[in-house]
Amino acid sequence: MSVQTIPTAVTDAPLSGRWRSLVTQESVAILIVSMIVAAAVLLPLFTLVISSFQVLDAGGFDTTWGLDNYRALFTDRIIPKAFVNTLLISTGSTVLAAFLGISLAWINARTNCPWRDRLEPYNLIPFFLSPFVGAIAWHNLASPDIGLINIWSRDYLGVSDHLINVDNIYGVIWVTGIFFSPLMYLFVVGSLRRMDPALEDSARTAGAGLLRTTFTVTLPLVAPGILSGAIIVFVTSAGEFGVPFKLSAPYGWETLTTQIFSKAVGDDANHYLGAAMSMALGAITAFFIYIQQRHIAPRSFTTVTGKGFRPNVLDLGRWRWVAFGYNIAFILVAVALPILCLLVVSVHPVWQGKIIPSAMTFHNYEKTLFFWQQDSITAATNGIYNSFILAFAGATIAMVLSLVVSHMIHRTKGFGARLLDFLCVVPIGFPGIVLAMGVLVTYIKTPIYATLWIILLGYITRFFPYGQRNVSSVMLAISEELDQSSRMAGASWFTTLRRITIPLLKPGIFAGWVLLFIIFLRELSISIILYTSGTETLSVGVYYLVNFENEPLTAALSIAQTVVLLLCVIVFRRVAGREALTA
Amino acid sequence: MQTEDYSGRYVEVDGLVKWFGNDRAVDDISFSVPRGKFLTLLGPSGCGKTTTLMSIAGLHGIDAGTIRVGGITYTSTAEGIFLPPEKRDIGMVFQSYAIWPHMTVAENVAYPLEIRKAAPNEIRERVAEVLRLVGLTELTNKLATQLSGGQQQRTALARAIVSRPRLLLFDEPLSNLDLKLREQMRVELKRIQHEVGITSIYVTHDQAEALVMSDEIVVMSKGRIEQKGGPHEIYTRPVNAYVSNFIGTANLLKGRVVQVTAPGRGEVELTEGATPIRLPCLLGEGIMAGQQAVISVRPENVQASRDSGGRAPIEGEVLQVIFLGNCIDCRVRWGEFEWKVLAHPRAELRTGEKIYLRFDPEYTLAVQP
Repeated sequence: MSVQTIPTAVTDAPLSGRWRSLVTQESVAILIVSMIVAAAVLLPLFTLVISSFQVLDAGGFDTTWGLDNYRALFTDRIIPKAFVNTLLISTGSTVLAAFLGISLAWINARTNCPWRDRLEPYNLIPFFLSPFVGAIAWHNLASPDIGLINIWSRDYLGVSDHLINVDNIYGVIWVTGIFFSPLMYLFVVGSLRRMDPALEDSARTAGAGLLRTTFTVTLPLVAPGILSGAIIVFVTSAGEFGVPFKLSAPYGWETLTTQIFSKAVGDDANHYLGAAMSMALGAITAFFIYIQQRHIAPRSFTTVTGKGFRPNVLDLGRWRWVAFGYNIAFILVAVALPILCLLVVSVHPVWQGKIIPSAMTFHNYEKTLFFWQQDSITAATNGIYNSFILAFAGATIAMVLSLVVSHMIHRTKGFGARLLDFLCVVPIGFPGIVLAMGVLVTYIKTPIYATLWIILLGYITRFFPYGQRNVSSVMLAISEELDQSSRMAGASWFTTLRRITIPLLKPGIFAGWVLLFIIFLRELSISIILYTSGTETLSVGVYYLVNFENEPLTAALSIAQTVVLLLCVIVFRRVAGREALTA
Repeated sequence: MQTEDYSGRYVEVDGLVKWFGNDRAVDDISFSVPRGKFLTLLGPSGCGKTTTLMSIAGLHGIDAGTIRVGGITYTSTAEGIFLPPEKRDIGMVFQSYAIWPHMTVAENVAYPLEIRKAAPNEIRERVAEVLRLVGLTELTNKLATQLSGGQQQRTALARAIVSRPRLLLFDEPLSNLDLKLREQMRVELKRIQHEVGITSIYVTHDQAEALVMSDEIVVMSKGRIEQKGGPHEIYTRPVNAYVSNFIGTANLLKGRVVQVTAPGRGEVELTEGATPIRLPCLLGEGIMAGQQAVISVRPENVQASRDSGGRAPIEGEVLQVIFLGNCIDCRVRWGEFEWKVLAHPRAELRTGEKIYLRFDPEYTLAVQP
C-alpha cells in the first residue's frame, strides 16, 4: 500500500465497460427496492380501480363491466347517508381534536403551567392506544342503559333517564376527537417550541402588543402546522373503523368504513361494490393528503435557527392553575377514566352497570389470554399470538425497507429518488380499510389469501412510510459527507451502509421500529378486511368478543392490549426522546 | 508496473464537462498536476471548483471528459469507464470534516486500513504514526463528538493520509475554522502534505489560502478556467481583470493600448479618471496596439507623495485614511475614480489634502478586460 504499488482493483478497471460500471451494489439494490415498493403500493390501488368497474351479476358468480357499483353509491338505501355521516364525524372530530390539541400544545410549550414537562407524555398516550378500545370503554361509561356515568347519575343525582349518551354520531366524534388530539398536538407543539423567540421579540419591540404579536406573528408561523394536523386528523377520522363500528353503526349511524366492511366482507360479500365505496372514500382522503403534502407541508416555516434558546414563556399568573386543571382533566377523561372503567368491567362475570366487589373474578382474563385452558376463546388467543408475530415481522421488514428507501431518496439524485419519494406518500393518502380492499381484490386468488402473509403485506404497505419518515428525519440531520468519506476511504456502498449509515441511524431506526410495532399491535381496519378464521389479530379478537361475547370478556382483552401498548410506549420514550414524534 | 512516466502530469483532467439540470457547472476544463505537487482550484462559490473535485473523487458521474491519475483511467466518457469512488484510492478531507461521531479518533483513522484488510498490528502502528504526525496522540481514544473544530480537522487529515493514497483531495477544509486557527492550519497542512509527499488538489475560495499553500493555482469562474500558474505568477501577472481583482486587490482602470514600445511593453491611454493620461506599462499576453485593455495596479505599487516631483502623472485628493499598523490604507479621489493606495505608515497622510501618485512601469499591467 505504498504510493508506488497499484491496487489490483484499479489495474483491471479499464476492462470494465459501460455496462459493468452500471451494475453496482447500489444500482441493483435501488432497482430491486424500487420495484418492490412500486408493486406493493401501486398494484392494490390499480386492482381496486379495475374491480370497482366490475359488476357482480345476480347469481353472484360472474361479473360484467359497468358503472353499476358507482350508481349504487347514490341509489343504495344506506350508502349516501353513510357518506354524510362520515363527513360529519370527520369534521366534528377535527374541530374537537384541534381545540384540545392546540390548547394543550400551547399550554405545554408556551406557558408557565406547573409541571408541564411531566404532563406531556400523558397528553400523548391516546396516540398510542386503540381508538376501538376507547370506544368500548366509553360505551361502558356512557351508554344509556349500562353506562357507569348514567347509572350513577340516576342513583345519586336523580336524573330520570340518562345524563349523556355516546351510542350515536356524537359519541363517535367525542371518542375520535379525543384520541386524535395528540396528532394535532404533535403537529403544533414542535413549531411552538422551536420558534425563535427573536421572531416574537422583534414584533414586540416594533410596538405590537402581546395579543397582536400572537395573531400577526405566532399564529401565522404555526398555521401550516395547524392546517397539516387538521387534514391528517380529518383523513384519519374518515378512515377510522372501530369507533363507528362500536358506537354508531349498531344504532343506525353507518359510516363509509362500516359499510365497506359489512357489504364487502359479510356473508353475501360483494368485493366489487366494496371497491367502488373504497374508491369514493379514497378519493376524498387522497385529495386532502395531496393538498397537505403539496401546498401546506412545504410552507412550514423554518423557525429553527440552530442556536440554543428557550422559547418565550408566558406568565399566566393565577390562571396557570386553571391551565393545569384543564390539562389534568384531559388526561383523566382521555386516559384514566376509560382504562379504569375497562378494568372494573373486566373483573365482573357479567356487567349490568353495578360494581359488585364480592363477584369480582379474573376468569375473563383466563378465558381470553390463557390459550392452554380448555374454555379459552381461540379468536382472542390466536389474535394475541398472530399480532405479536405480525408486529415483530412487520416492523422489522418495514424498517429494512425504510432504511434502503430513505437512503435512496436522500443520497441518490435523479428520477428514481423522486419516484420513491412519491410512492412513500401514496399509502398515507389512503385509509387502511381502503388499502386493505385493494390488497384483498389483488391477492384473493393467490395462495397468500387467508394467510398471515396477506395481512403482513397490508400492514407494511400502509405503514412503512411512517418508519421511513422516522429514518429520513435522522438521515437529513446527518451530513452526506459522512457517507462520502467512507466511500473515499475505500469502502463499498454496502460496507458504508453497514458500518457508517446504519450505526448513525440506529436511534431513528429503533424509534421507527417501536412505533410500527405499536401501530401493528393495535391495527384493526386492515386486519378486519383481510383476516379469516385462524388469522385473527389482537384487535380482531376484541372485535370478535364485541360481536359474539359479553362486555367483561371484551374489556379483559382490551385491557391486555392496552397494557402491552403502554409498555411499548415506555420503551419508545426511552429510545426516541420527546422530539422523535414531531418530525 | 508503470510503463510510462506520469510524474509530469500525474493527475490529468481533460475536457471535463458536468451539467446540473440546465446549468453547465463545469464547462470543458483541463489541467494536470505533477506528482507530489499541491494544486489549488480557486474561485468564488458556484464557479465549479467543488464539482471538479467531486468528479475526480468519483462522487458523481460526469457528462464528458477524462480523468486519469498515475496513468489509470478513473473516468472516461469516451471509453465508458467509471471507477466507483472506493476503488480510486483517494484520501479526502471534507468541508464538514465528516468525522464519524460513533467512532473514536483512532477508529476513524483506522477505518481506511481496515477496509484495505491491513493486519491489526500494522493498523495500530500506522494509526499511531499518523496521529503523531498531525499532533493528536493524546486524543486517540476520544469520541469524535468531544473534539474541537481544529482537532476534527486534524483527525480528518489523518484519516485521509493513513492509507497513503494516490491522491489527496481537500474540499475547503479550513473554511469552518476561526481566523487564527485557519492561519495556523494553512502552514501545518502544507508541512504535512510536504512530509508525506502525496499529490494534492485543494479547493478554496480564499485567495490568501491559495497563495500560501499552493505549488500551482487554477483560478476558475463560471465553470471555466481563467488562469493557471504559480502563486507568484498569478499575483504579479494576472491575465485579465477578473483574476487581478480576485487575487488580492487591484486598481482597475479602462484604457486603450496606444503603442507597443518593446516586446511585452507599451503605453496605455486611460479612458477612465479625471484626465486622459498615458501610462507606460507591461503588456499582458495577447495584448496588442489599438486594443481595449484594463490597467491593473496593486495598491502597494502605487507611490503616493505630497510633492509632484515634476512629472507625477496623477494629482488626487485624499478621501479616507485607515491606519492598519504596518501600513496605511487610503483612498484617493481622481475624478470619478477612487484609487486604493497602501502607503508606508510614516507617510502621515491627512484626509482632504492634495496628493500625487506615481507608477512603476514594471508593476503596471495592461490585461484583458
